[in-house]
Amino acid sequence: MCSRLKRDFWTTSFCYLYLVILSIIAAFPLIWILISSVKGRGELTSNPTSFWPKTFTLEYYKHVLYDLGFNINIANSIVISLSTTAIAIIVSTLAAYGIVRFFPRIGKAMTRVLIVTYMFPPILLAVPYTIMMARAGLTNTRIGLVIVNLSFSVPYAVWLLVGFFQTVPLEIEEAAHIDGANTLTVFSKIVLPIVAPGVVATAIYTFINAWNEFLFSLILINSSDKMTVAVALKSLDGAEILDWGDMMAASALVVIPSVIFFMMIQKKIAGELAQGSIK
Amino acid sequence: MKLRKISLTKLLFIIPALLIVGVLLLYPICSSVFYSFTTKNLIKQNYKFIGFENYTKLLKDKEFYAAFFTSIKWTVFSLIGQIVVGFSAALALNKIQRGNGFFRTVLIIPWAFPTIVTALSWKWILNGVYGFLPNFLMKIGLVQSTPQFLSDSNLVFWTLVFINIWFGAPLIMVNVLSALQTIPRDQYEAAQIDGAGGLASFIHITLPHIRVVIGLLVVLRTIWIFNNFDIIYLITGGGPASLTTTVPVYAYNTGWVLKQLGKSSAVTILLLIFLLCICLLYFRLLDKWEKEVS
Repeated sequence: MCSRLKRDFWTTSFCYLYLVILSIIAAFPLIWILISSVKGRGELTSNPTSFWPKTFTLEYYKHVLYDLGFNINIANSIVISLSTTAIAIIVSTLAAYGIVRFFPRIGKAMTRVLIVTYMFPPILLAVPYTIMMARAGLTNTRIGLVIVNLSFSVPYAVWLLVGFFQTVPLEIEEAAHIDGANTLTVFSKIVLPIVAPGVVATAIYTFINAWNEFLFSLILINSSDKMTVAVALKSLDGAEILDWGDMMAASALVVIPSVIFFMMIQKKIAGELAQGSIK
Repeated sequence: MKLRKISLTKLLFIIPALLIVGVLLLYPICSSVFYSFTTKNLIKQNYKFIGFENYTKLLKDKEFYAAFFTSIKWTVFSLIGQIVVGFSAALALNKIQRGNGFFRTVLIIPWAFPTIVTALSWKWILNGVYGFLPNFLMKIGLVQSTPQFLSDSNLVFWTLVFINIWFGAPLIMVNVLSALQTIPRDQYEAAQIDGAGGLASFIHITLPHIRVVIGLLVVLRTIWIFNNFDIIYLITGGGPASLTTTVPVYAYNTGWVLKQLGKSSAVTILLLIFLLCICLLYFRLLDKWEKEVS
């Protein structure tokens, strides 16, 4: 017994050590972005390994936001991500409920349908989207980008939401139906309030994915006043003289909302895949 | 009459989603198949039908094969790395009593990273002149000169694989962890009473319980990694000397650098066919496992 306890102590200590090392690696880029973005001019190149900034400055943030027009790109990203999220969530909530209640057989095939849509390489969709958008006159418009964003956000949102709707007991709905409520009333007054936390989590996840989207923005948008933050950030990387302070400040502006939102919903979203595959 | 009306309301729930799937997924795939038989160009208006010429050209193209093998290598090593790191982190998290919440929150940070930020932050950390890591390795005397992680042809591929593992392991970890938590504790206790050691209970209790989840994760990740365009495009652009050009990067360059959308479509259709075959294999295996479980 004593040896088992001893062994357990060493296993646990090893686990902690391992997790600490992994955590450092996982968090380092975020920490380094934040540190690099506030170091004073010249410090980035004069002493690459120093952790604490000798002089603290917000100069890079100001420059990126107002001189390089990132304020416009951030606004674009917010508008595009919010529109994508709003449309995707309305469509997917209806679809997920419909699948769970009216077409349960489709529900069983859902995992595989998702895998199939997952399988379409985004680069495969890039060619037809370019042609479709040109034909519809939507090249270089934010509306066009919102439309193509639905291609990946709807299937994923439906998949997550199906999991949440499956937790609503059928009896509650039947009782309401007996009381004379119609399908739409049951859906909006009884089912939706129950799954609301799940819908919110899915909405945030959809927002993050739209915020992070890169390829479609790259091929559809070509004027800088319509660019999303991701593509605007890429164009900084293509400049002749790379200014890492600017790039790190811009990176911080892009990554921080994403990380914060993600931490808010991680518990809700995270296990869904594992549970979905068991169901 | 009433019955038909009800089923119409029911259909209305799923019609918008079906429309989106139809217009934004099915139609584009079909038109991609069509364009893959043509000389469609990004700029020129006119194009003509050329049958299988794009395909036959591709299947003779050395660069295409090179990209294909790079893709396979990239997928296999990234996947193994993500599974090993994600799985072991989940086991460690499941083992410890305190601080789970903290470690979990910190460890999923990479998952939230937009690819462009992943790319820029690692490019900065690994920068051959001012980067933290090369200079740090010099300072502690591990290397004589700053290693060029992103331009040295011996290092660049492995650097990309490392970054992909960094990005993808958290998803594996979180999903394995929640699968682990569904295993009833008493099974372990029973095994312990029967005198089974840690390894034996891992093989006979843990693995059978979570292998369906792992199987699904492997499928999804394989597809995702194989299809992934932006990590490589944003970090190396496929270089140096197309050493890190995978099939999606090759397709992008064909379509948007060389402007040959028709040929680019053919590349992506081949990619899709290959992935379909892999998926069918996985589905058969998963079906077998699911039958064994139930």
